[in-house]
Amino acid sequence: MRDWIVRAIGLALAAGYFTAIVWLYTRQPQTVAEATGAFSASVGAYSVDEQAFADGIAFFRADRFAAARLALRRADPAFQDARTQFYIAYSYYREGWGRFYVDRDLYARGLEAVDRAIAAAPRGRIVVDDADLQMRSGDELKAELEAGLKPADLNPLNIARRRRK
Amino acid sequence: MNRAVEVFWLPLLFLTVALLGGIRVGARVLFLPPPLSTLVLALMLMAALVRCGALAPARLIHPGRPPLASASGGVVLLTTFAAAVQAFNVVIPESGLPRVVVTVLLFVLVLNTIAASSDRTHVLRSTAVIVGSTFVLKFIVLAALSDTEGGWLKRMLLASLEGVTLGTLTQPRFAPVTGYVAFAALILFLAGLALLPRSIDERWRGGGEPRNRLTSG
Repeated sequence: MRDWIVRAIGLALAAGYFTAIVWLYTRQPQTVAEATGAFSASVGAYSVDEQAFADGIAFFRADRFAAARLALRRADPAFQDARTQFYIAYSYYREGWGRFYVDRDLYARGLEAVDRAIAAAPRGRIVVDDADLQMRSGDELKAELEAGLKPADLNPLNIARRRRK
Repeated sequence: MNRAVEVFWLPLLFLTVALLGGIRVGARVLFLPPPLSTLVLALMLMAALVRCGALAPARLIHPGRPPLASASGGVVLLTTFAAAVQAFNVVIPESGLPRVVVTVLLFVLVLNTIAASSDRTHVLRSTAVIVGSTFVLKFIVLAALSDTEGGWLKRMLLASLEGVTLGTLTQPRFAPVTGYVAFAALILFLAGLALLPRSIDERWRGGGEPRNRLTSG
């Protein structure tokens, strides 16, 4: 084979390998599904499993949050769909909310999910068109989760606060 | 140097080291980017390799070579640097006093290598000893001290470190596979260094023939 062809192939291989390494270190995928999903999202070829998403929403509306998250994770195994991650975050919020206290662990996971939703959304703006939700933007949900994670004050009026549906 | 080694094997070998060097397997798989100090250490190691003739940049990039050949020579140099960065990233502890001590120790050892070793064999041997000993320190000694269950090695170390607060020594715990990945990365790195094109003078010193001195150019 001619010298320049061999060298061009070598350069292309090295460039591709180097790009893949930089991509891995930047995106930090945790599973093979996440890695392949993030890669297909970066080339615009990623899509969620609509059936699993519909199942997840149905569970979510029935307040079966753990089941909803299982279905939503199946719908978006690579955490690349902003809408799905928004609903996952919302399910943590609803499940973690309590009149006297919030479940900080669930809120923290909700915050991680809403951060993923915001990261995956175009220009970081996620707005969900869902009449059943009181908070329809990622910013509102994130602010609510962050407020819940702040150290609790002993204010008796907190009992009167309401969960945002 | 063989064309296949320059074009394929060395870049892919060193890029594999660059990939493996930052992997830490715990509850999650982390790809740790290298700290700034490793860039300086890698540059110093490159200087040592060039100085002793273990790496001859003039055989990879020179005006007599076609542009594409010089480009692939440049890739070898860049990937060597990237692999050196990640090799140091592997062996530097993650936190606390050990991180500071090992970083300073590596600076001193690499400086000593530059100053004291004038031939390829000694520099390669010195590099193997430096990364090997820091590997043992991080993945065997410090890992044993950070082990919450503790074994005979931890008990022995605790006895010898009587009076030292372990909080300054303990490291984040990673799965054992991290050590195996790190070991593989270091072996590949050292193998890659041995394959680098050496200077012509060094080949004469080692008894090798200066044939193929510019075969790739």
